Amino acid sequence: MALLTFIQRIWRFLREVSGDNDYARYLASARENGTAVMTAEQFYLWQLRQKYSRINRCC
Amino acid sequence: MRRVAAVKPLTTIVWVFVALVGAVALGMIAFVRGEPVNAVWLVAAAACCYALGYRFYSRFVALRVLELNDQRATPAERLEDGRDYVLTNKWVVFGHHFAAIAGPGPLVGPILAAQFGYLPGTLWIVAGGLLGGCVQDFVTLFCSIRRNGKSLGQMAKEEISETAGWTALLAVLFIMIILIAVIALVVVNALKSSPWGLSTISMIIPIAMLLGIYLRYFRAGRVREASVIGFLLVLGAVIGGRYVAESPTFAHYFTYGGLSLAWIIIIYGFLTSVLPVWLLLAPRDYLATFIKLGTILLLAVGILLAHPQMLLPPLTRFTDGSGPIFAGKVFPFCFITIACGAISGFHSLIASGTTPKLIRKESQARMIGYGGMMMESFVGVMAMVAATVLQPGVYFAINSPAGVVGATAEKAAATISGWGFPVTAQSMSDLASRVGEITLFNRTGGAPSLAVGMAHIFSGTLGMGRLEAIWYHFAIMFEALFILTVLDAGTRVGRFMLQELLGHFWKPLGRTRWYPGVLITSAIIVAAWGYFLIQGVVDPLGGINSLWPLFGISNQLLATIALCVATTILIKMGKKRYAWVTLAPLAWLVAVTMTASCQKIWHPDPRIGFLAQASGLSAQLAAGTIPVAKVAETQHLIFNLRLDAAVTTIFASLVLVILAESGRNWWLHAFGRKTPVLREAPMVLSRLTA
Repeated sequence: MALLTFIQRIWRFLREVSGDNDYARYLASARENGTAVMTAEQFYLWQLRQKYSRINRCC
Repeated sequence: MRRVAAVKPLTTIVWVFVALVGAVALGMIAFVRGEPVNAVWLVAAAACCYALGYRFYSRFVALRVLELNDQRATPAERLEDGRDYVLTNKWVVFGHHFAAIAGPGPLVGPILAAQFGYLPGTLWIVAGGLLGGCVQDFVTLFCSIRRNGKSLGQMAKEEISETAGWTALLAVLFIMIILIAVIALVVVNALKSSPWGLSTISMIIPIAMLLGIYLRYFRAGRVREASVIGFLLVLGAVIGGRYVAESPTFAHYFTYGGLSLAWIIIIYGFLTSVLPVWLLLAPRDYLATFIKLGTILLLAVGILLAHPQMLLPPLTRFTDGSGPIFAGKVFPFCFITIACGAISGFHSLIASGTTPKLIRKESQARMIGYGGMMMESFVGVMAMVAATVLQPGVYFAINSPAGVVGATAEKAAATISGWGFPVTAQSMSDLASRVGEITLFNRTGGAPSLAVGMAHIFSGTLGMGRLEAIWYHFAIMFEALFILTVLDAGTRVGRFMLQELLGHFWKPLGRTRWYPGVLITSAIIVAAWGYFLIQGVVDPLGGINSLWPLFGISNQLLATIALCVATTILIKMGKKRYAWVTLAPLAWLVAVTMTASCQKIWHPDPRIGFLAQASGLSAQLAAGTIPVAKVAETQHLIFNLRLDAAVTTIFASLVLVILAESGRNWWLHAFGRKTPVLREAPMVLSRLTA
């Protein structure tokens, strides 16, 4: 049981680190602020444009 | 001031024990002669130093120097919008930050610096990291958090002067060009005459495009599953590469010399920077990050399980400056060859990028900024171990350019054996066969020798000797993959920066969605780094000898800029008594980089000084001793050497400008001649618990 819990926590951590959770978090924030909501696809493309328009990888 | 809790006796005993173990381990690696030392001592020495550095020094910086304040809301809390400013768990931020800063630098630099023996490089990685790099990353991150995530350039402009800001921007653009050229050279040297390696990397392009389409049209944002699918496909490509290499029909299509491969990478770099980012760059980045982090973890476990002997001595004869891989003595060249594992200016750009906008509490900056760089430093230590497990003769045979040791296997083996590092052409041929390569001679740049070292460690663990070739090509794939990602991402960012600059002169060029502008500026950036790449490939002394020091100098000059900004902010905060925390590494870096710059420009030894080498070749041309067929090539080489000298001069000059501007500010603020104006975001009380 403890092992299962540990694996679940690792999987949830990987979900956060990989960015799989980013859209859900954005939705929650956008609804709270009452701003217009992007679709998952729009958000994904927006996120990529933001990420790769500035230095995000080191030598 | 925060009250420090009373220290428990048990805690004291534990830390004294850690210090003792560290001291013994350092003594073992520094003083034992005549017999190989086990790598576990090196790892133990580094681990103890890191533990002590994090526990005591970073805590001192956090509590006394920066006075991190968890009562103060971070920009992620104040400006939370779910897009740019996002409250994020500290371990997730750590993961993101580490993935961003962990590049090829800490893997390549230590391998090259191992020509001096393992000791100078290791001591620099640990001491330079703890006292320099970790401090730079930590303080820059803190400064950016207090300024709503402003970039280094913006902070330089606001806290020092407008001139400093523009100078920093120009410096970053120049540094980017050299960085991309030198890492492209590392990839060229890793993949030349290697049908297995090149076929694997070639396969990753359609794999990444497949993932890109999957993520864009079918499962938007599902990075985990795409990464797992991609990883399995990449493994297939690594294993399948053997069949390509052994096929008389297909091997031919994947076997290229250095110059042809350089052109392939230039064309590839241009295409990936103008294609939509979702199609190739992003999915390849996810794959590369996934594989990179897994491989680093595997290497750490492998070293602990295999506990190999370090066959390279602590100091070699090449501390005298006559090294084959790059010329120059330990001071200053060991300290600029290893940049990213000890102190890297580029990290300050990452630390003032996305990371400050995700942090929940100021105190977490210690773990993320200081701790993240510490991990990177540890990666450098592991790379050093991977270099030292090779027989010294093998290490030098792989990393020495043909222009120094001789163009044939027999000549090279004889030269290297003459240095006191026995190796034979036959043993190198056997090793090449075992790892599935045509030859391992003249495979400079550090990547092949790292791959051989890693294959040795992995295959020595759990009896996987039969898989040595697979491990070797897996290691080559892992390095080439994330180097190419840095190359593409860097070209794209360079294009954005150039568009921002040129947009001031002609507005259409500044529009990032205007495709002709994208094509023109991408072509300029690719042409710039492509030029230096070709120059490095055709350099008879091995491009690493000229380009890697240029990269190291420029990277650490950027670190100088970051430390100038950090020192200025500390003085303005009223912390001038603690300014030594950033001033000490700054002073060291200025001494190292300015000495290295002067030597690379003016040293009379043609293997070190660009101008001396150019003059020597000019004299040979004038005397008519250069064969007619080589005259044009020699003239080109002379021009390139003078260009390298000019580029070094420009870097050094840009940094002297910022030093002068900063020094003026420090004088004025420290002695009350100017009222310090800190441009921090207003203090708002936090409503969150940690």
